Amino acid sequence: MAGSSVSRPVPSGVSMGRVMAEDAFEAVVAAHHAEIRRYLLRITARASDADDLSQETFLRAFRAYRALPPGANVRAWLFTIATNLGRNHFRGLSRRRRAYAEVAQHAPAGASERADGQLLADEARKRMERVIGALPEKQRMAFIMRKMHELEYTEIGASLRCSEESARAHVFQALRKIRRGLEGHL
Amino acid sequence: MRTPRSVCDEIEPDLLAVAIGEASARAVERVDGHVATCRSCREELGHYRVVDGMVGDLRAAPLTGEDGTLARAELVSRLADLRSRMVGYGIFPSPLGPVLIARSEHGVALVQYLHKAGAIPGHVRRLLGEDAVEDRAATETLSAELVEYLEGRRARLDWPLDSGRMRSEFQRRVLEATAALPYGAVASYAGIAARIGAPSAVRSVAQALRWNPLPIVIPCHRVIGSTGALTGYAGKHVELKQRLLAVEGVRTVAAHHDFKVRREAMYTLMDGEREYCVPTCGSLSSQPLSVLTLFGTRERAEAAGFSPCTSCRPDLHPLPA
Repeated sequence: MAGSSVSRPVPSGVSMGRVMAEDAFEAVVAAHHAEIRRYLLRITARASDADDLSQETFLRAFRAYRALPPGANVRAWLFTIATNLGRNHFRGLSRRRRAYAEVAQHAPAGASERADGQLLADEARKRMERVIGALPEKQRMAFIMRKMHELEYTEIGASLRCSEESARAHVFQALRKIRRGLEGHL
Repeated sequence: MRTPRSVCDEIEPDLLAVAIGEASARAVERVDGHVATCRSCREELGHYRVVDGMVGDLRAAPLTGEDGTLARAELVSRLADLRSRMVGYGIFPSPLGPVLIARSEHGVALVQYLHKAGAIPGHVRRLLGEDAVEDRAATETLSAELVEYLEGRRARLDWPLDSGRMRSEFQRRVLEATAALPYGAVASYAGIAARIGAPSAVRSVAQALRWNPLPIVIPCHRVIGSTGALTGYAGKHVELKQRLLAVEGVRTVAAHHDFKVRREAMYTLMDGEREYCVPTCGSLSSQPLSVLTLFGTRERAEAAGFSPCTSCRPDLHPLPA
């Protein structure tokens, strides 16, 4: 009996069904982490929240990855996990208020250095960001998924646990509010 | 919410869809026809197109805090940590009843008798951890080897082991000393205590072996009481210990809801010696079991690398079979 083998590492070449799935998951992280984090950054408007939630998204995904049917849309599935985590995150009202406040202040990089002719456009853009930040949660998430990440309405519906039609309605409603918020700036 | 008054209600949804480029060909046609004659809707279509353009600009603009490099590095390290704790397990029939085998990326982490088919008891669930997943493929080869072992067709399980389910450094030392017991041999709890340099910790040794996460692989069945009684195994399943020992050629006799190894029927090795003896050689029979290792057969003693004693010559005068 191998007396000193109690904590021996696995020799390379030991076959393990999971190893392949894990290697595949490395590719999932490489392909989608940046985008999922950007999505969560748009949702929360805080880099530290985006860090935490994107990490949690991928840890959950890793645990469930093996159960995912072959050929599943991994990107849409990650958006669903991230959306759920984002919504849990906002369950505390004070947190949501804080996020809205941050979205509202969120100025585009270099805005103040623009030429005078740009000032009106910048003002319009700030207004738009404020409106987006103040949208109801589902409308805001649907809008960001559709217009910032180009997800299909079926995928957005799956993320928000609503129908494709409702997902579309959320996005359209968001656009109407943005349009109204820009009255006089167009 | 009301739509802006300047848009005709009947065309509004189509108009929006056209502005953001999501309209069907029919909707495009309807909107084209409508705005050709309706000036306010034509203007509104223009406004929505500007909005959509601004949304596109927002999408393209850099985000404050966009750099996720650090976050990703941290994620990768947490994934590695999670992965090393995760186990895949399978449940297989064996001559000793259903057995659960779990492995992590480090090696075999858990072997547990289930006694009742199908049900994983709570303490085994806890040992598996919340991230355990059923993975028969990863444990199938192990199970086949285990069955060979239990049927006496294999004397070694050379598996890489994951010590993550061991409870303490003390237990790890006990299990390591136990893992060093050769196939077909027995020693006492006191003997293991002496071997790890804690001769008074006999009861702690027994406890450490009681919670062996890797029975059979780490052969705690080869550790017996100082009287030769098997004393206990896998809860109240001392009969499994007796069967495992029988497979390895260690005979036992039944005694008061227990089984006993008879020293007088065993080839005997004194700690530190290279030669094995018959139990009556010299002063061996007066030595405590804690300084001895007993073998059921000469073949097992010799397979473990020991040679027959040149005084008592167990090779010429074997014990009665």
